[in-house]
Amino acid sequence: MSTDAPTTAAQAAAPGPAGTWEALPAPGRSRRAATRSAGYLALIIISAVTVFPFLWMLATSLRPSNTVFGGPLVPRSVTGGAYRRAWTQLDYPNHFWNSVYVTTATVVIVLALATLGGYAFAKLEFPGKQLIYVVLLSTLMLPITAIIIPLFLEMRSFNLLNTRQGLILVYVGGALPFAMFLMRAFFETLPDELIQAARVDGAGEFRIFARVMLPLAAPGVATVVIFQFLSTWNEFLLAQTFISAPQYLPLQPVLYGVVGQHSTDWPLLTAALTMSVVPIIAVYVRMQRRFVAGMTLGAVKD
Amino acid sequence: MTAGALTTRRRSIRRRPIGYLFVAPIVLFFVVFVGYPFLRSFYLSLTSWSGLGSARFVGVRNFQVMADDPVFWKVLGNTFLFTGVTTVLQTVLPLLLAVLLNRGWRAGVLFRTLIFIPAVISLVVTGVLWQLIYEPNFGTFNEILRGVGLGGLAHPWLADPHTVLPALMVVSLWQSLGLFTLIYLAGLQGINPSLYEAASIDGASPSQQFRSVTVPMLRTVTGVVVILNLINGFKTFDMIYVMTGGGPNRASEVLGTYLYGLAFGSTAGAVPALGYATAISMVIFVLCLAATLIQLRISRRSADVD
Repeated sequence: MSTDAPTTAAQAAAPGPAGTWEALPAPGRSRRAATRSAGYLALIIISAVTVFPFLWMLATSLRPSNTVFGGPLVPRSVTGGAYRRAWTQLDYPNHFWNSVYVTTATVVIVLALATLGGYAFAKLEFPGKQLIYVVLLSTLMLPITAIIIPLFLEMRSFNLLNTRQGLILVYVGGALPFAMFLMRAFFETLPDELIQAARVDGAGEFRIFARVMLPLAAPGVATVVIFQFLSTWNEFLLAQTFISAPQYLPLQPVLYGVVGQHSTDWPLLTAALTMSVVPIIAVYVRMQRRFVAGMTLGAVKD
Repeated sequence: MTAGALTTRRRSIRRRPIGYLFVAPIVLFFVVFVGYPFLRSFYLSLTSWSGLGSARFVGVRNFQVMADDPVFWKVLGNTFLFTGVTTVLQTVLPLLLAVLLNRGWRAGVLFRTLIFIPAVISLVVTGVLWQLIYEPNFGTFNEILRGVGLGGLAHPWLADPHTVLPALMVVSLWQSLGLFTLIYLAGLQGINPSLYEAASIDGASPSQQFRSVTVPMLRTVTGVVVILNLINGFKTFDMIYVMTGGGPNRASEVLGTYLYGLAFGSTAGAVPALGYATAISMVIFVLCLAATLIQLRISRRSADVD
């Protein structure tokens, strides 16, 4: 980060191509240039502060264990040893797989049921539709901490504690109303004429949904997938509460537990953290726009 | 919409039941995993129960206990303090940053990409990472202070009851700045540029334009940001549970971590107080509900104005 700063600041001081201040008289122009450099500086500092913890995490994870405390910020020598230790000592592949399994299953089920429901609320008529819709959305702002205890008791009586399947079911139940709400918004933008034309052609309602309308709602599908993937992968409270058998734990509770057991092995800790965020950051950097859309829409819920 | 209106609008009887089939799975999941637990929590909050045997109905006693529980009041105070400060910071600073970003920068996309990264990272990773950064002896935060000659300020940030909440607020701000900034940016891009043109023809300075165009035009977005911050604050759990567990000596205990400890944290042999913990969860629910209703009222009123 710090190496970029001088060049970018210098670029900022030079008049940019924006052309917004060309009409201004000379003194106004130089004042404008000064505020612009100040703005650049502020943006650089804010981004640096935001990114620094991640760079530090990466740097620490690559250090040889004996140089963690008191060494320079940028390690002189790097080693992947901490990743190997995290991989084997923490049973990492297993927990990673649990996270992948739970997340994938949740996303698939949520997507299937939310598109069905969202489509019905947007395009089909049936008695009581409005009432059902309002009830489903009434708990959109309900925090999970408010129902964690009855949920726990329910899972216990279903014998679903300590199972990944139980966790998936709870995730799906909690996520569906909002995902349906998003999908409904996307389906509403599609024209009714398509449905009517397909009906005239004799297509069944499900076929119209799956073959005609669903492909047109691809942007909505992508948004739901990304939002759901992120929130399930990152979920901690329910996983921590419902699963205590080590072999079924997904990553987040494991990462939480590692701090207590390996509090002084910072390379191992940071290597474990890094491996858990790499898939997310990789996807984020590639699909940035969809991520932002998914998250800012999702923010209405979270 | 009445049933009569529906029948006149669509006479095709064949199409009616299929709608139910489409929504049935959602309704089923909702009833089992949201609706029933939610209703049951009302009942549970009126019982005394350790989780074994059957719950004993005690009426409003849990709420009377709550009123006399000094820990509850301390925790409620912490929750309000944390929520209040983070709401103000996380409403104002993202707005300013969004306005700055919206001016158009050569590296604008890069800045946006970078500041948003914390929003996609789990709160567990965030918490663990910042725990290491705040570590008193070797943590980067104190190292940096020593490095710039402010070693006298080096401090066990999370272990001191006076600094633990501010330290957590900083992490909260770090984590959510990008998300709220991008929400504001989306709002800013919806403002008609001719409003700014008109204002500058009238001789309004940039700061006047900010006050008389940007702020009023972003009223709805700001409302959303405020309500999200309030709800996130009232229900906050993950980050605090991971970083401090509510300590030291309950200095960072909030409603979420307190009720969690009462219900699930009894590894030391204490009896789980499920009824009392559920009563506290009702408080969280009521706070979030109040925030939502106030927001609905305000947005409805501003919609009337527009």
